[in-house]
Amino acid sequence: MRGHGAWLWLPPLAAVAAYAPAQAVVYLTVEQAQKEMFGDEALTSLPLVLSAAQIAAIERDSGVKVASPIVRVWKAPSGYFFADAVIGKHDLIEYAVGLDANGRVRGVEILEYREAYGGEVRNAAWRAQFDGKRHGDALRLGEDIQGISGATLSCQHLTDGIRRLLATYAVAIAPR
Amino acid sequence: MTHRLASFALVFSALVGCAARADESAPPAASAEARAQSLERKIETLSRELDALKNELKQVENQNEALAAQQQQQAVLAQQQSAVQNGGGPWDRLSLWGYGEVNYYHPQHRPEDTQADLARAVFGIGYRFGERTVFNSEYEVEHAVSSADDPGEFEVEQFWVDHRFAGWGAVKAGLFLMPFGLLNEHHEPTNYYGVQRNFVETLIIPSTWREGGVGLHGDTVSGLGWDLGLTTGFDLSKYELNPETPLYGRASELKEASPLQATHQELALANAQHLAQYLALNYHGLPGFLFGAAVFTGNAGRVDRSAHLPDSRLTLWEAHARWRPGRADFAAVFARGTLGDTAATNALNPGASNPLPGSFFGYYLQGAYDVWRRDQTRLAPFLRWERYNVGASYAGLAAGFAAVPAGFPQPYDRVWTYGMNFYLNPHVVFKADYQSFQNNADFTRFDLGVGLNF
Repeated sequence: MRGHGAWLWLPPLAAVAAYAPAQAVVYLTVEQAQKEMFGDEALTSLPLVLSAAQIAAIERDSGVKVASPIVRVWKAPSGYFFADAVIGKHDLIEYAVGLDANGRVRGVEILEYREAYGGEVRNAAWRAQFDGKRHGDALRLGEDIQGISGATLSCQHLTDGIRRLLATYAVAIAPR
Repeated sequence: MTHRLASFALVFSALVGCAARADESAPPAASAEARAQSLERKIETLSRELDALKNELKQVENQNEALAAQQQQQAVLAQQQSAVQNGGGPWDRLSLWGYGEVNYYHPQHRPEDTQADLARAVFGIGYRFGERTVFNSEYEVEHAVSSADDPGEFEVEQFWVDHRFAGWGAVKAGLFLMPFGLLNEHHEPTNYYGVQRNFVETLIIPSTWREGGVGLHGDTVSGLGWDLGLTTGFDLSKYELNPETPLYGRASELKEASPLQATHQELALANAQHLAQYLALNYHGLPGFLFGAAVFTGNAGRVDRSAHLPDSRLTLWEAHARWRPGRADFAAVFARGTLGDTAATNALNPGASNPLPGSFFGYYLQGAYDVWRRDQTRLAPFLRWERYNVGASYAGLAAGFAAVPAGFPQPYDRVWTYGMNFYLNPHVVFKADYQSFQNNADFTRFDLGVGLNF
């Protein structure tokens, strides 16, 4: 590429960029993620607000702070579906976790991602490392879950979030 | 509610039972008919009441559903509200971070050159303009004090806007880090082993390497990350062909040996007549593995713009791999650069003490292992072998002249680095290493450092 010809790249780039709408990029909606994990099963939302005692138990169990007492969880005939959010480096990553009737992870899906770095967590093989895990299983990044170079924080915080959800299931849902 | 329904059901079945028995006992016709009529009436009444109850039950069910929906709605609202609060005010849209390192270098054979240095103090500011657009910037002071009389520098290391236009990609524009090697984009001291960054990713890939321009980047679900764009490039007119004294005399100054460190522009009134192109690919579809490669090519101008010399094209490519099985961490990087059409320049400057190299390369292999871990604290000894040559070939050298004058350090070496990183937590690291240089044996040194990142 010689001389000024190089600048010819710029207008199409700018046009593409200007076209984008203002909402966050949604990789999957909650409904799509539910369909992905539970097919045509009917899911009913399960209103759940954690008590102070439950929060304390979840934090003790998972070693992760509970930011909100409100849990977004749905019950399906064959399991449970959680929608949750964690901070990647600076911004929220929205994700979903499906559990089977025994509380084992059926799937993890990234719903929304906002940051410039760390989007590698969308990789299916990385997420598949959580499949089959249940409350009580070791879930530590770098030991039980392999991280992704360059996306360490996103991997770390998602791993923590999933550990927290498994503890939430054990403390507040499974005993019901 | 269900309790009442159950008792009605009991009464009802008892009555039906009675009616059945009445049939069996076959009483006189008249009284039997009367009883049958009365029973029919009772059954009718009961069935009406049952219908009423059913309706009532339906209503309560509906109410329950509405309540649940309301509760769910409230939960979602509360969450949205907290999200709005998180991303609402200007302070919440702002993110701040920082990193830095304080180092100590002790050349084993030249203790008089021992140095302590606040090598870098960097602060980052980010701002989110909306759900899709984010600004990132970093400001760096190198060597503590930046003034006319001091060795330090103040630099804007990054200053760019990233806009995600679709799930599959984003566009970035401004001054951004080039996606080359393992550490250029992730260069915080907690991200690498050893007190100073490795030589391959300092001399061949001139980290912290950034250019001004635009780029497109994204990641696929299958694990392929891609990044390509148009940027400013290098400027050979900044190259010093004939320094009277060596540009570097110890390991901590080796950066000066790099032709790319000498000619990078850092978007400081950068010559932008010619733009360069880059493409970087990374595959992380196997958990624990990372493979990647990148190439950059662009016209780097000429050493003397007034002279009738051909422009040189600079091409740099690299390949890298990292494997982290459990507690171990293996890494390898190979990088090679070429400068075209250097013969005329070198021929015009016979006997130059620092002629233009036609090619340069370097590679390293590194292994580390967490020998001890407790919660977030860990100790990771490591070993690295690297080889670099910033003057692998020269074109147009006048007969009888060497590329490197006698008494100057050699521009190539093989280096063993043994050391350890002690992570107090993921954000604070203490480091120690010993670096042994095979050719420039004088450079062999012992280093200590503390680094942080938040």
